[in-house]
Amino acid sequence: MSGSVLRGTAAVFGDFVAADVILPARFAFLPTAEAVPHAMAELAPDANARLRAHPILVGGNAFGYGSGREATARVIKAAGVKAVIGGPFARMFFRNAINNGVLVIDCPALIAAGIADGDAVTIDLDACTAVTASGCFAIAPTPPIIRSILAAGSIVDYGRALLAARA
Amino acid sequence: MAPRPRTIAEKILARASGKDDLVRGEIVEARPDFTYAHDFAVFAIDAFEAMGATRVVDPDRNAVCLDHATPANNKRDANNQARIRAFAERHRFRAFFAGGTGISHQVMVEKGFVTPGALVVAHDSHTPSGGAVGALAIGTGEAEIGFLWATGRLWLKVPGSIRVVLDGRLARGVYAKDLMLEIIRRLGVLGAVYQVLEFQGPAAPTLSVSERFTLCNMSAEVGAKGGVFVPDAVTEAFMQARAQYPYTSVAPDAGADYTETLALDLGALAPLVALPGREDRGVPVAEAAGTRVHQVFIGSCTNARTDDLAIAAAILRGRQVHPSVRLMVVPASRAVMAEAAANGDLAALIEAGATLMPSGCAVCAGVHQGVLADGEVCLSTSNRNMPGRMGNQAAEIILCSPATAAASALTGVVTDPRTVLA
Repeated sequence: MSGSVLRGTAAVFGDFVAADVILPARFAFLPTAEAVPHAMAELAPDANARLRAHPILVGGNAFGYGSGREATARVIKAAGVKAVIGGPFARMFFRNAINNGVLVIDCPALIAAGIADGDAVTIDLDACTAVTASGCFAIAPTPPIIRSILAAGSIVDYGRALLAARA
Repeated sequence: MAPRPRTIAEKILARASGKDDLVRGEIVEARPDFTYAHDFAVFAIDAFEAMGATRVVDPDRNAVCLDHATPANNKRDANNQARIRAFAERHRFRAFFAGGTGISHQVMVEKGFVTPGALVVAHDSHTPSGGAVGALAIGTGEAEIGFLWATGRLWLKVPGSIRVVLDGRLARGVYAKDLMLEIIRRLGVLGAVYQVLEFQGPAAPTLSVSERFTLCNMSAEVGAKGGVFVPDAVTEAFMQARAQYPYTSVAPDAGADYTETLALDLGALAPLVALPGREDRGVPVAEAAGTRVHQVFIGSCTNARTDDLAIAAAILRGRQVHPSVRLMVVPASRAVMAEAAANGDLAALIEAGATLMPSGCAVCAGVHQGVLADGEVCLSTSNRNMPGRMGNQAAEIILCSPATAAASALTGVVTDPRTVLA
């Protein structure tokens, strides 16, 4: 992401959606484009379509817990998701999403206040807020290294620039 | 001014990031002492090459062990594995272990690559296993490993630590797995997120490295960043003639600041099973007794070492697996398989009706054999049981100890191992 503000509509998913449910391991070796149709497909018949329809993924408690396979983050990114908010989220899910350029924000209060598919969400990293029709919620400051990776696009883009600067 | 008293994780991370003191929650740039990878390293290689990197920093501190999809199921996996081998050889990695050597977490500990006091990183959620020998072992993603190969560095948030105080002795028929299922039941699947479980207490010295491995391994199932045992005489005996690198053991300071203390009386525990769907659904095995079982898996990085196979063999020797059960035995490594072959346990399991499969992750993640049919139940000594984990979301997985697995393989239903132990 570039800039500090991200706006979009939400797709809302529940609690304890494991990384293995977001993308079962047997699809994790596929090229990302081929894996995307399998993303969330075992959760519910419409889950894959909902994932692709909205740039903000609202995930419930422990969304993405368990496996640390990065394919989980790659398919979410490839499905068009720009930010994941709600949680709290597992640390490997968090790292992998950030490294693929997908912002992750712990903000369970946003879910508790009520949110539905298609609702607008505005995340402001400078102001440290997330705003929905249900209210304005405080979010933790995003550390500089994470801002840098997101601004670059991904850890690969960040690493490429770093190596080029050293050469 | 003397530094404030610190936990094991704080001391290891401070050294690896070149800092005297750390603030909990701060993000530090650290230089890991050892890094390893497995089949998913193809995505780390993709990242390394996409960054334009040409040289791996510290190749002598890197190793690979293929374990997830070996022997290869298809052309794609075979080509991936050939690419990983070529990369490791071209960049002169310290070691490359082909499929069949074992599960990477097991192999890296067993062969002495993971050392006490080291900061160890691998692109796998069960990396915390290395805490069994007193390392701070942390799982990351794959692209980060490519970044680490290219730069020698990565970012880590300084974790808090939960002190897990172990007291008492495990009763007959109760094992380290039961203890860990109890810890997971109490904490929940994210109960230790961004925390390290630091195992200590009067009972800690009575636990073998294998038992410690089971506990540290499943620290992943409470969302922890790591699990680590305070190094002691057991650790030193294990490392002797094994350590691949010089090391300095790290113990916590007296008065270190823990976020929480979890006290467990091992003598009060009974065998547990984690019911299907989530690892924190532990109940006494008695509550699930009688549940029909179609497949029993004795394998995975959690519970498939020599002692685990011995426990299962003691129950199954001279008996027959129930005709409606498929029993799959997958030793955690070739070294374990050889030892169990030499001591007769493997023969006892095979004669009882077990199917022996190559050492690796096998059934655990649903990518390599042992997939379940709709409506079937697998009783497993592995670490995860979320829907679809073994390749079919219409099947169910119950987690347990090797003893409960073996006892249930005999009867065809979930069985308290204390009822069949001689």
